[in-house]
Amino acid sequence: MEILYLLLPMSLAFVAAIGAVLWWAVFSGQYDDTESAAVSILHDDDSAQAVDRDK
Amino acid sequence: MLTNMSLPIFPATKLLTPDQIIARRRTLVRLGLAWLVMMQVMMFALPSYVRHEVSVEDGIEVFQWALKLMNWASLVLTIPVMIYCALPIWRGAFGATKTHRMSMDTPVAISMLAAFIPSAWATWTGDGEVYFDSISMFVAFLLTARYLQIGAQQSLSIAQRGKSDVEQFDHFFKALTDRADKLAVVFIFIQLSLAAIATLAWWYVDADRALPIMVSLLVMSCPCALSLAAPCAFAVAQSTLVTRSPESGLDLASLRAVTARVTTQNLYGSLAWHLFTVPFAAVGWVTPWMAALAMLLSSLAVVINSLRISRLSTARGERVTGVTKPVFSLNR
Repeated sequence: MEILYLLLPMSLAFVAAIGAVLWWAVFSGQYDDTESAAVSILHDDDSAQAVDRDK
Repeated sequence: MLTNMSLPIFPATKLLTPDQIIARRRTLVRLGLAWLVMMQVMMFALPSYVRHEVSVEDGIEVFQWALKLMNWASLVLTIPVMIYCALPIWRGAFGATKTHRMSMDTPVAISMLAAFIPSAWATWTGDGEVYFDSISMFVAFLLTARYLQIGAQQSLSIAQRGKSDVEQFDHFFKALTDRADKLAVVFIFIQLSLAAIATLAWWYVDADRALPIMVSLLVMSCPCALSLAAPCAFAVAQSTLVTRSPESGLDLASLRAVTARVTTQNLYGSLAWHLFTVPFAAVGWVTPWMAALAMLLSSLAVVINSLRISRLSTARGERVTGVTKPVFSLNR
């Protein structure tokens, strides 16, 4: 059971790390707009001109 | 339209001012951290849930020792929730902001301190009940309700920037919000009095149970659902105005009627739910975490009910225009 002295601080460190990542993600704008990335492919310019240009 | 998939109470980021974006991010990170801690603290609290079922004599000592360690870990995690995540609550309760929510934060702040201080003391002395799981759960749920509220309020502030057809809607909104605020003040006063009476009564009957019962009653006195009722309904109504073309048969009068009806349902529905749960809390059947869950459920019910506005107003608008010409319509 002494292993708890290692496991508990480890789990606290994990929580702190996850919290830090969440903090970074929110303040770097990852959650500001959760829709448009998914539909951006549908708004792509598919005209022949644009396709030629991208070749 | 594809973007209609999103929850209509949250406005698109490109419409928001930088300050509004920061405000939304701060609320989101606070609630996210609170949810994270809540799950972890509940895991640490698991041994205390099964404590009464352990009967092997020498097992109990190891168990108690593990329990103490878990309590310390919970305390370490709950401190940042109390300080950082709950900061808007402290600010509101101690009058740092002059917003109308001030009075609503008072019972919340009292209940959090009433749960935290004895829990920290019990952890230090190694004797007594701890409520860290209830505290972190309460903060996580409360901030979730607040996040929905901030989305609804920002949607409204965007609508108020221009839009002439929304103007007469504003007076109507103000009237309904005033009614919600008046109701909330009366509600808080009644709930605080009830909590005081129940706590005193329990103090004489069984002093050990007075504290959790007081915390439960104060948690339930949080009028989150009430303060969400009007802004949420209006945010949805606003997005229905905005996203639909005037020719689609949607007229302002029917939208207004539907919004008024849904707001009234939200107000009195959440009030009825709170009044229904209070007696159970007063007799000690509702633990603090159950009270927090009841609070979250009523807030979510308000949001779901508000989402009906866009569907109801179209159905009603089509029916009205099919028979007679509407009195107030956008295409007049």
